[in-house]
Amino acid sequence: MHPVSRLRTTLAAALLLLLLAAAPAALAGTVRYMLWDASQRPLYQQCANDFQKAHPGIRIRIQQQGWDDYWTTLSTGFVAETAPDVFTNHLSKFPDLVANGQLADLTPWIRRDGLDPSRYVKGLYGPWGRAGRQYGLPKDWDTVALVVNLDHARRAGVSEAELRTMDWNPRDGGSFGRIVARLTRDQAGRSALDAGFDKTRVQVHGYQNPGPGGMSGQTEWSAFAVSNGFRFQAAPWDTALRYDDPRLAETLAWLAGLPARGVSAPPQAVGRLGVDTLFATGRVAMVPAGAWMIGHYARQARFAHAWVPLPQGPAGVRASMLNGLADSIWIGSRNQEEAWAWVRYLATPACQGLLADAGAVFPALDGLAGRTLAAQRRAGTDARAFIEMAQAHTFAPPIVENAAEINALFDTAIESVLLGQAEAGAALRQANTRAIGLLRR
Amino acid sequence: MRRPTPAAAPPRRLPPLRLLAWAALLAMLALTLAPLWMVLKTALEHPQALLAHAAAPWPHDATLLNFRRVLGFVGVDEAVALGGSGADIDFLRALGNSLLFTLLVVVLQTANSAMAAYAFARLRFPGRQWLFGAVVGSMMLPGVVLFIPNFVFIKQLGWLNTMAGMVAPFCLMSGFSIFFLRQFFLSLPRDLEEAALLDGASPFCIFRRIVLPLSATPLATIAMLSGINAWNEFFWPFIVAPGEAQQVLPVALQSFKSQTPQGQPDWTGLMAAATITLLPTLALLLAFGRRVVESVQYSGGK
Repeated sequence: MHPVSRLRTTLAAALLLLLLAAAPAALAGTVRYMLWDASQRPLYQQCANDFQKAHPGIRIRIQQQGWDDYWTTLSTGFVAETAPDVFTNHLSKFPDLVANGQLADLTPWIRRDGLDPSRYVKGLYGPWGRAGRQYGLPKDWDTVALVVNLDHARRAGVSEAELRTMDWNPRDGGSFGRIVARLTRDQAGRSALDAGFDKTRVQVHGYQNPGPGGMSGQTEWSAFAVSNGFRFQAAPWDTALRYDDPRLAETLAWLAGLPARGVSAPPQAVGRLGVDTLFATGRVAMVPAGAWMIGHYARQARFAHAWVPLPQGPAGVRASMLNGLADSIWIGSRNQEEAWAWVRYLATPACQGLLADAGAVFPALDGLAGRTLAAQRRAGTDARAFIEMAQAHTFAPPIVENAAEINALFDTAIESVLLGQAEAGAALRQANTRAIGLLRR
Repeated sequence: MRRPTPAAAPPRRLPPLRLLAWAALLAMLALTLAPLWMVLKTALEHPQALLAHAAAPWPHDATLLNFRRVLGFVGVDEAVALGGSGADIDFLRALGNSLLFTLLVVVLQTANSAMAAYAFARLRFPGRQWLFGAVVGSMMLPGVVLFIPNFVFIKQLGWLNTMAGMVAPFCLMSGFSIFFLRQFFLSLPRDLEEAALLDGASPFCIFRRIVLPLSATPLATIAMLSGINAWNEFFWPFIVAPGEAQQVLPVALQSFKSQTPQGQPDWTGLMAAATITLLPTLALLLAFGRRVVESVQYSGGK
């Protein structure tokens, strides 16, 4: 080799080494992080403090905006170029963000740092990818279970063992339907199975469906429908939606028929206050809820209550949506390397374990759920039903482009079914055709 | 002559119709005050006791905890444990921002509108009628329509997340204020202004030294109306300055809304903050309410 060229190579190598050595120190700047759940903010602040100790050049600024305004704030931020560098992302919203080119592809960093996707709970990592690109690192997961007012259950003579082994079908409701009827009380103290039950003067309703639930029906109807053999779509991003499946229609028809029998309050009674209000005031004995509501119910319900798994359906399985949140990086972030360092830290056992030990969420990293359970037990709640549901048949929410429009479409259609204004089969077939039209436009 | 003794005077009785009118007024008053009472009652309730005692007309176990929470005397961890949200709002900073925002809007809008209104009332210039028509016509434009063009403009100016960006659309003019003040200026006797003109005063001098001192009442009305509007303004500051350092009160109160899908707003915290936010408006109304109503009637009747 020519001496000059050798010198050049040596110099280049030295420079590269110097750059590599300087690389960790070069990480500097402020990373803005946005999340919606205010009760988790103090925990993530702790994570941020720990992170800043290890990375003295980087400052994490946490910004919190409640769910109601979260996505508006984010969209405005994208347009105004003031969006946070890193934010908590939701599976129902992320397809539109991908389609609009707002998310950074994490794959190069994941490869460079050798992150292993198999360390997450099964089914959490995959949905955040599309066409070989990854748009989020999973942070937590949730399933759905039923919360039961044990005072009402005792009065109705329903045992916890019965509650934990319910089955359901859309024809007569199965043992779940009978328990709902037994839990229902009219003002004279008769249950819905007793002769002379007055369905116009109901004191306690047995079960309450939270609402229409949009295109995913996460806590509302998806568990019942999937346990009845329904599937949203063959695979994520598939445009051949299957909401015209009669098994979904009969599920919704069964739920819609409950208020007329007096075992549920009419949908209008739920209103803006939500089923948790009806439950906390003792007006409803049993409601479905997601794992993120455990703390809320523990604080609001001033009576003995228990979490039980959802009933087994005609397909022979208990089913629950397994939904998870992830951290994503905004494509417009000016500190992407620093943002990635923070996202990577959020996905470490150190940070996710901190949230588990506070009982806040079930972490996405495999093997930490036990710590969440232990923390919740210390706080007086037995949340094993959610783990049981995670080990049962789980499914991902529907993942489609144009999610906002399609969500509104199904929300309206299902609401009209629940209000008794439309026949389930016809309404769903019509909405499905229109949704597919939107996807193939 | 015998003077009637007090005992002989007929007892004062309310005629039935008047009684009915009083009853109707009291009923309307109760209807108006009921929501305010619910706000106050919720604010005084313990976060965990709210749903259990939702139907009671009085707070179950009245506490100032929520007010302390809102004003930052209770730590976030403690607030979460008590059943509130972990919303961490800097109430005093938001209050300061709101005061500054309102003050700027009131001063600039009133001053600019008064000058424009005087020009429309007294000065002759080409296109005056057309221009005035456009100003009055702008009242028919719903504010929502202007949000996007205003937002783009403010973004191009680089004023996002600044006080200037928040104030800009409100400070130059308001169709209603100009129309309202012009009607008043037209009613002022011209003789005064002409006398000043003979003494060599310029139009601006006349405006400042003669017209303004005579217009204290309508100016106060406009200042108050624009002040109340600015104090309550939510959507524009929310879009243009959501950053925590610039948040005004109505935007900061958002942190008490639902934290999670299907979650509940932190009702008690929200209502405590709303109560404090209401106070300045309420004080203004109690102090100057009669004046506002009279003034609007006075000008509207012209």
